[in-house]
Amino acid sequence: MVFFFVRRLLAAVPTLLAVLTLVFVIVRIVPGDPALVILGDQATPEAAAALRARLGLDRPLWEQYLSFLGNALTGDFGNSLVTGRPILAEVGAVLPHTIDLTVAAMLFGVIIGVPVGIWAALHRNRAIDVAARILSLFGLSFPVFVSGIFALLLFSLHWRLFPVIGSANLDDPADRLHKLVLPAVTLGLVMAAYITRVTRSAMLASLSEDYIRTARAKGVPWRRVVWVHGLRNASLPIVTVVGLYVGILLGNSVLTEIVFNRPGLGKIIVGALNQRDYTMLQGLMVIYCFLIVVVNAVTDLLYGVLDPRVQAT
Amino acid sequence: MKGLRAALLGTAFAVAATAAAQAQSGPTLRVGMAAQDVGRLDPHFAVSTIDRVVVAWMFSGLVRFKPGSIDPSEIEPDLAERWETSADGRTWTFHLRRGVQFHGGFGELTAEDVVFSLRKSGTAASSAFAADFRAFQTVEAVDSHTVRIVLRENVPSLLGILTNYSGGFIVSRRAVEQRGADFVRAPIGTGPFALDRVTPNQSAELVAHAQYFRGTPQLGRVSYRFIPSDASRDLAFQNRELDVNYGRADQTWINRTRQVPNTVVDVFEPGELAILNLNTRQPPFNDIRVRQALAHAVNRAELVRFRGQDVAREGQSVVPRGYLGFAQQPLLPPDTNRARQLLAEAGHPNGLTVRVIHTQLPEMLTMMQVIQQQLRRSGITLDLQVVEHATFHQQIRQDLSPLVYYSAARFPVADIYLTQFWHGRSRVQTPTAVTNFSHCDQADAQIDAARVSTNVEEQKRLWAEAQQILVQNVCGVPLIETLLVFARRDNVDYGYQLRGSMSLGPVITEQTRIR
Repeated sequence: MVFFFVRRLLAAVPTLLAVLTLVFVIVRIVPGDPALVILGDQATPEAAAALRARLGLDRPLWEQYLSFLGNALTGDFGNSLVTGRPILAEVGAVLPHTIDLTVAAMLFGVIIGVPVGIWAALHRNRAIDVAARILSLFGLSFPVFVSGIFALLLFSLHWRLFPVIGSANLDDPADRLHKLVLPAVTLGLVMAAYITRVTRSAMLASLSEDYIRTARAKGVPWRRVVWVHGLRNASLPIVTVVGLYVGILLGNSVLTEIVFNRPGLGKIIVGALNQRDYTMLQGLMVIYCFLIVVVNAVTDLLYGVLDPRVQAT
Repeated sequence: MKGLRAALLGTAFAVAATAAAQAQSGPTLRVGMAAQDVGRLDPHFAVSTIDRVVVAWMFSGLVRFKPGSIDPSEIEPDLAERWETSADGRTWTFHLRRGVQFHGGFGELTAEDVVFSLRKSGTAASSAFAADFRAFQTVEAVDSHTVRIVLRENVPSLLGILTNYSGGFIVSRRAVEQRGADFVRAPIGTGPFALDRVTPNQSAELVAHAQYFRGTPQLGRVSYRFIPSDASRDLAFQNRELDVNYGRADQTWINRTRQVPNTVVDVFEPGELAILNLNTRQPPFNDIRVRQALAHAVNRAELVRFRGQDVAREGQSVVPRGYLGFAQQPLLPPDTNRARQLLAEAGHPNGLTVRVIHTQLPEMLTMMQVIQQQLRRSGITLDLQVVEHATFHQQIRQDLSPLVYYSAARFPVADIYLTQFWHGRSRVQTPTAVTNFSHCDQADAQIDAARVSTNVEEQKRLWAEAQQILVQNVCGVPLIETLLVFARRDNVDYGYQLRGSMSLGPVITEQTRIR
C-alpha cells in the first residue's frame, strides 16, 4: 500500500511541474502590478521600480522561475509580496480551518446523501423518490451565499445558537466545533444533494444487475442484498464523486469562508490573485496540487479496498 | 552595586509588568473591517485603507491632527512638545517629549529614532511616501531630544508631512535594525496600542501600551477583524459580535443601520472627490468643445441623490472642498441641448462613442453606470471595458483610457491634489508620473509658485487661479465627494467627536472606552 501511495505521489511530479510553470507564467501575463498594490496609487514610477528591484521582480523571468523552483524543492516558498509574511506560516495558519470545513462538509454530505440516495433508488418513481430528487435539485441550485445568509439570519440572529463570525480558536476544540456547524452544514448540503443523485443512479444500476436477482432467488435477506451486494458495487462511482468533490472543496469553498467569516485556502487564493501576490499564488498552487494528489491517491486506495481487481492492475 | 542595580531593574520590570497587566485587563473593542487581511504593517508602507486605520492606533508622529479632525489648523504636538522655525521657513527644530516609551521594551524615544524614521520615509526603497519628502535637505539630531530639519525649498505644510499620517509615523530604529524584513509583521511604535499578533485572514490583535505617554489606555485590547462580506459584517454587528463596523457610503445602508437599536452612524471627512479625467492630448477630448459637451452632460445633483444626501455632496472644483486653498469654481451646468450643440460643432452631430476602461469594484462601477446613462442622453456613449481593479490601475497609467474615473482623498492642502492630478510633472507615462491622466499642465506655474511661497494669502490666491485655469480648460469634470461611514454601538465612546480622520477610520486613543 505504501509503495502504491509513493508511486502515485511520484507520478504527480510532472503534473505538479506543469501546473507550477503555468501558474508562474499566467500570473505574470495578467495585467496588474504588485508594486502598485504595495505602494498605493500615489506611487511614482521611480518608487515602483525601486520596489520591484527589491522584490526581485526586475530580474529576467527565467531567473525568477529557476530561483522559485530551487527554493520550492527545499521547501522554501519565500514570503508574501504583499504582507511580507512567510507563505508556509500563512498557509499553515489557515489550513486546519480548510481541512475542518472540507472534512465536516464531506462527512455531512456522505451521511445525508448516501442513505437518501439509496432510499430514493429503493422507492423509484414513488413520492419519496420524487421528493428526494426535488430536494437535491433545490440543494444544487441554491448558492452558498444565499443559503449561508439565510442560515445566519435564522440560527445566529433569530435563535442565537451560533455566532456570525466563524473564525475559531484552533486550541479550543469546543469553539472549533461550535463554529464549524453552520458552514459545514451549508456547504455539506450542496454535496449531499450531489451525492444523493449519484447514489440513486448507481444504486438503480446496481440493483438491476443479475447478481442481485440471483442473491434474492437464493433467499438472501433484502437488507443484506441492498447494503452488501447493491451498495458495494454502487460505491465506486460514489467514491469517485466524493474524491472529486473533496478536491473542489479544498480550494473552492471561498464563498462559504467569506459568508461565515472563516479563514481558509480559498480566501487566500482570491486575495493573492486580486493583489497580484505572485509568490503567494505560486506557493499556494504547490500546496494545493499536493493536497489534490493526496486526495486522489486516497481515492485510488479506496478503489482497491472496495474492488480488489483495481489494486491488482 | 550589582545587587542594587538588579534590585532596581527587578522593581522596574515588576512595575511595568503590573501596569501592562492592568492595561490589558480592560475591555476589548471589536472592530469589523471590509478586508481579507492586513498588508505590511510598517507604517511607511501602509497605503490601503485597511492598513492606514490600524497603524494609526500603533504609531505616533512628531505632531498630530487633533483626534476627530482633519483640519490642518488643528495640528497639535505629539512626540514633539514644541518646535520653532527660522525666519525663511526652511529650518525647523523640534524638541521631543522625554520619557516616551516604545512598545515591547524597545526603550525610550530619542532624536536618533526620529532622524532614522524620517530618513526611512524619504527613501523610495523603504517607504511608499518618499515623494512627500523631496524638499528635505537634511534631518539631523542636535542632541538626544532635539531634531533639526533643513529644507531645500519651502513646502506648503511641513507640519502636514510630519503628522500621524503616511510618512510622518515614527518607528523604533533599534526594532527596524534588529528585525529587518520581519518589521513589517512585528512593528514597534509609540502609540496607545501595540501589535500582539496577526492571524492571517482573521484578525490583528492589539494590546494596550501601558506606558503610553498620554496615559494608560482605557481599553485593554483592540480586535481588528477582517470580514470582507458586507452582509456578514452587518449581521455580526447586529448580533453584537462587533462594537464598530466599517460602513458603506450608501444612503440605504445608513438608513438601515440607523434602525439597529443602540447604534450610532458616523459620517466623516475626508471626502473622496470623484473626477472624470479627460485626456486632453488624444481624440476626442483634445477638442475642448467635446470636453465642454461632456461637462454639460453630467448632472451632479442626480449623482448625489443616487449615492445619498448624507454621504455625498457635489464637487465644486478640481480640488475637494475643505482643503486649504480650495476655491469654489463656476462649473458648467447640466444642459443636454448645449452638450449636443457642442458635439455637433466639434464634428460629432450624431454623437460619439468613447471606449473607457473601468474597474469592477461595485461602488465605482455603479456610479459609472449612472454617468453612462447621463451621457447617453446627450449623445455620448461610453463603451465600458470593465476589468479587475489591479488591471484598471495599471492600464489607466498606460494611457489606455481617454476618460478615467478616479476618486481620491489626499492631505487637505490644495498643493497635494493639484500637484498629483494636475501638474505636468505628474502626467502618466512620464518618469515622474503620479496620477495626472488629463495631461494638463496649464496651471504648472501657479502650482509651483504657491508651493514655495511663504505668504499664505498669496498661496491661496495662486491655488485659486490654478483651479480656475483647470476648470476653464475642462481638464476634468468634478462629480461628487463621498464621505466615510462607520457605525458603532452607542456604548462606544471614542473620547472625541468624530468629524474627520486622515487614517480613514476612527482613531482609537487612550481615551476610547466602552461605557
